[in-house]
Amino acid sequence: MTRNPRRVALASAYILHHRPFRETGRIFEVLTREDGRLSLFARGVRGPKARLAAVLQPFRLLLLSWSGRGDAPSLTGAESAAESAALPAPCLLSGFYINELVLQLTTRHDPQPALFDAYHLALESLKEGAPLAPTLRIFEKRLLQMLGYGLDLGTEAMSGRPIEPQAYYYFRPGEGLFPADAARPDALAGRSLASLSNEQLAEARELKDARSLLQAALAHCLEGRELATRSVARSMARRGS
Amino acid sequence: MRHSPQLTRLIDALKALPGVGPKSAQRMAFHLLQDGRSGASALAEALSSALATVVRCTRCRMLTEDTHCAICASAERDATLLCVVESPSDVVAIEQSGSYKGRYFVLMGHLSPLDRVGPEELGVRELGAILATGGVRELILATNPTVEGEATAHFLGEVAGSFGVRASRIAHGVPIGGELEYVDGGTLAHALSGRRAFG
Repeated sequence: MTRNPRRVALASAYILHHRPFRETGRIFEVLTREDGRLSLFARGVRGPKARLAAVLQPFRLLLLSWSGRGDAPSLTGAESAAESAALPAPCLLSGFYINELVLQLTTRHDPQPALFDAYHLALESLKEGAPLAPTLRIFEKRLLQMLGYGLDLGTEAMSGRPIEPQAYYYFRPGEGLFPADAARPDALAGRSLASLSNEQLAEARELKDARSLLQAALAHCLEGRELATRSVARSMARRGS
Repeated sequence: MRHSPQLTRLIDALKALPGVGPKSAQRMAFHLLQDGRSGASALAEALSSALATVVRCTRCRMLTEDTHCAICASAERDATLLCVVESPSDVVAIEQSGSYKGRYFVLMGHLSPLDRVGPEELGVRELGAILATGGVRELILATNPTVEGEATAHFLGEVAGSFGVRASRIAHGVPIGGELEYVDGGTLAHALSGRRAFG
């Protein structure tokens, strides 16, 4: 079966990752709003005459055009979308982390406009100076939800009883929340779960609980794969202090 | 047509060069074995001797035959200035500008967390050892103005801070002889935010 090459013009997209391809080319892994995640081949985007090099940077909302059949169409144009600021340097590592989550947990050619919007919103918040940790946790929560691994933060697993703000719980990946003793080291405060559910994380305890809950849930989805950004972040923390 | 085994081997080896595909490799191989035989033996000798002797400068990681490269060994260079670049070709580019008299540190790459390229791979431990001696007054962060280069610069700025060394970032802006109309928005934004008092 032959198909005409598909042409897409000025689609909203973000570059998640890129690697060199031949002398002056790159292969971009992009997240688009309408076409999901895909690979794009681009020629002539490196080197002295590469006019698009400045535009083709991660963490900027782009308007990409491409054409071609099969798994990896060719990039035919790129513009920066209006007023797309750069991600501030202190947030870059978190940006790489978000990108790796999306790369690891999504499949190619599976359009998820809501995921794109959540990604866009997370980056916009960071660009506007929103606190890092709550922004990351809310993105992780939404990502899980959109991938079909949404956390039920309102009810206990098994019994189906509502989560009480004063009570404590523990989380079992793939199953849900169970009542726990407050003294348990991995106990999650009911209040923290409510705050995560409302996406209103502020206090230290709420952030700590949300982090351990989401890390456990993400580790379950990653099926034992370790995130490269996390191990690099750890060695940076050792080196930078 | 199939080439003889040795010729095939030479062609395959030439394809290791950047920008050389099968066609160019074949053209080069024929040239080296026909008209350029003396040049070819000089090339073979130069290549094997360079491979055997060229190592990285123990101080700045630049390519050299000695323990210290010519720049690190020179008494003329200002040892209180240290310029961090991503690759040896960046050293050459800055040297050609003739505007810098300090020393260098070559990372041989940039931070790329998704590819597991972190501080160890970039020799940050060695850089830390230089900063720890207390001889460096300013660390100039001349990594590329890409997202990865910025992440690298930011991280190295923090490393410098932990040693009490002042860090500076090279300016990004409009190229000389360029026209504003054709400069991309990101560069213009940098050029405007980094503007200086005039007159």
